[in-house]
Amino acid sequence: MVLQYAKWPEIQWMSDDAGWKEAKTITAGVDIGTTSAQAAVVADGQLAAYAGIRAGTDFRKTADEVMALALGASGITLERLSAVGATGFGKRNAAFATESLDEVSCHGKGARFIYGSEVTTVVDLGAQTVTAIKLYEWDRVWDFAMNDICATGMGRNIEMVCDLLHVPIGEIGEYSLDLGGKPDPEPVSTTCYNYAGTETMGLFRPEFRGDTLNGNEICASHLFAVAWRVLGVIGKLQSLEPGDIKVEGKLGFTGGLAHNAGVTRRIERELDTTALTSEYDPMLAGAIGAALLVLPEAAERGGVR
Amino acid sequence: MSAEATITRGADALGAAFDFKSLVDKRHDYARAWKAKTGGKVLGWFEPYFPEEIAYAAGMLPVRILARHEVDDISDKWIYSSCYPVRDMVNQLLKGRYDYVDGLVNVEGCQWMYNAFEVMMNNRESLFYHYLFLPDYTNAATSKDVAKNEFAVLADRFKGWTGKSITDADLDAAIEVYNHNRLLLRRINELRRADRPVISGSEMMNLVLADQVMDKAEMNVILEDFIKELGLRKPGPDKIRLMIVGSETWDARLEELVEAQGANVVADELDNGTSYYWNNVLPQEDRLMALALRYLGRPHSALKDNNYRRRPQHIFELAEDFNVDGVLLEKQIYCHSHGSDMYAVWKMLRERYIPYHYFERGSLLPEDETAARLEAFLSMLKPGLNHLAGWHKKFGED
Repeated sequence: MVLQYAKWPEIQWMSDDAGWKEAKTITAGVDIGTTSAQAAVVADGQLAAYAGIRAGTDFRKTADEVMALALGASGITLERLSAVGATGFGKRNAAFATESLDEVSCHGKGARFIYGSEVTTVVDLGAQTVTAIKLYEWDRVWDFAMNDICATGMGRNIEMVCDLLHVPIGEIGEYSLDLGGKPDPEPVSTTCYNYAGTETMGLFRPEFRGDTLNGNEICASHLFAVAWRVLGVIGKLQSLEPGDIKVEGKLGFTGGLAHNAGVTRRIERELDTTALTSEYDPMLAGAIGAALLVLPEAAERGGVR
Repeated sequence: MSAEATITRGADALGAAFDFKSLVDKRHDYARAWKAKTGGKVLGWFEPYFPEEIAYAAGMLPVRILARHEVDDISDKWIYSSCYPVRDMVNQLLKGRYDYVDGLVNVEGCQWMYNAFEVMMNNRESLFYHYLFLPDYTNAATSKDVAKNEFAVLADRFKGWTGKSITDADLDAAIEVYNHNRLLLRRINELRRADRPVISGSEMMNLVLADQVMDKAEMNVILEDFIKELGLRKPGPDKIRLMIVGSETWDARLEELVEAQGANVVADELDNGTSYYWNNVLPQEDRLMALALRYLGRPHSALKDNNYRRRPQHIFELAEDFNVDGVLLEKQIYCHSHGSDMYAVWKMLRERYIPYHYFERGSLLPEDETAARLEAFLSMLKPGLNHLAGWHKKFGED
């Protein structure tokens, strides 16, 4: 049997207002991550279309596919686009891109679009990396911090837990919070996601622990460890003293794990804050940011490529 | 002699026109040739506080054991969970890359380096070994006397090993050569203060690394010629100016990655960078005391700074003097000395609103990931806003 629990639904959307196709400057952004890829189309600064798919092993094919899906049946061709910004781990594979952009700027810009100008701390929860970004009140990065080398693969690891527990990834967050009023169990290893994954698998074996945990608690233990690790990255961003982790201003999550309440609510709880919410999918932040960052120059050229 | 003719002399010694990277890469050939020519002993050293002048006065060639990026299929057997550079040193030493080395000296400091030293003692018994104690409390009342006495013990051990007494004249000559060398390196380093430096960060780092594996008298000739060549160079383009602080880097790959992104490293606070040549020996009647004061008084390495916290101020002064736009704080994974010291540095940088980016690395730099970090960091610092936005001022203040 092929396990499908880790698979999240792919997305495609296009504005009902067909007038966007007549916009003077149409730009696009693609965010090619290790596990997912997103594309966004922006017409004169307004979001016109987007798509999100699972990244395959062929990044170039993935980039082509997600861009084609975003443009859909609009009749807009790649040549019609004034500029295309590419970001993410696989950005070099977006052969159609006109500009390569760093992930931090794109997620910062995209978060401002998604959550508005009040967001000052952005936490990008990706499959491979975690990035905490602090923004000025204007659209500029003040500071950022990324996870260490030995802490990559967080999102991918959660997919593995979903498959092991037979819980769909869209439900795993709430599942981990459903503890019948009990507090979170101790987190698994917070040093490295490989250790965390191994330790979580160990929790399935009753002989490893006297107090056998149920599925919800195992999941809670794993996601608590993830949240713990993310807090460490946020701490690097904000603190003057070790252990002094705080968020100044409003917090906004981006990336696939922003959908995982088991991670985000635990971070909110530890930081004693409530993150901003939005009608837009936070996974799109990188792609929207890339499309917006290439917009000013494209507009200056009069929309000409 | 014309400037061009002088430069050619330096170029001949290097085999290429001031290709310092090539000299670092060919350092084993150089040391073997030195040995064949002079019949002298080559002494390998690990730690930044080793008083090379004493070995040089005893007629030896002191060479720093540099970590490289070589496939390591040996160190796991001998050394567990150390930092990658130290494992790499063990790998190279046991594979015979340093087969020309007659002895090894380690100085009180990093525990991982000591592990490497111990492994060698257990595996190559025929070599000369000395463990040099140097107080962690570098400024304590008796530290200089302790260091001086330890240096005297080292000199005695050298005498017993080589049969040659180290006279005051020998020490004076060695100090003269080393002081002149440090002076030349400082002169070159000063050129990096310029708005548009004539020397890149990678060239400077390769130069300093080459300096640590060569006969200083010979290197001084090359450096003098190099300074003349620098005088003929046209200023480089205006670039974002970075500083590197943290664990020893062993090569110039990080500087090269910075340059590939269109920026330049104009300052560093590294044990194998500016800290190596920052201060000179101030001559006094008691030569060993003069050396003790020089080594205890050099810019503190992280290991020796836990009780003083002087590094942050030194780093701040460098950042100010060299007008850096941002600081890269890099730490080798498992580097205990910088692991315990780094927070004091980032606290200082944050309090003074100097942008920095902290990251961990192995001896082999993960290039894609590092490039992604650098790209984001440099975007943050791009001219047009970084100088105008006033990052020295607290956000929200006038």
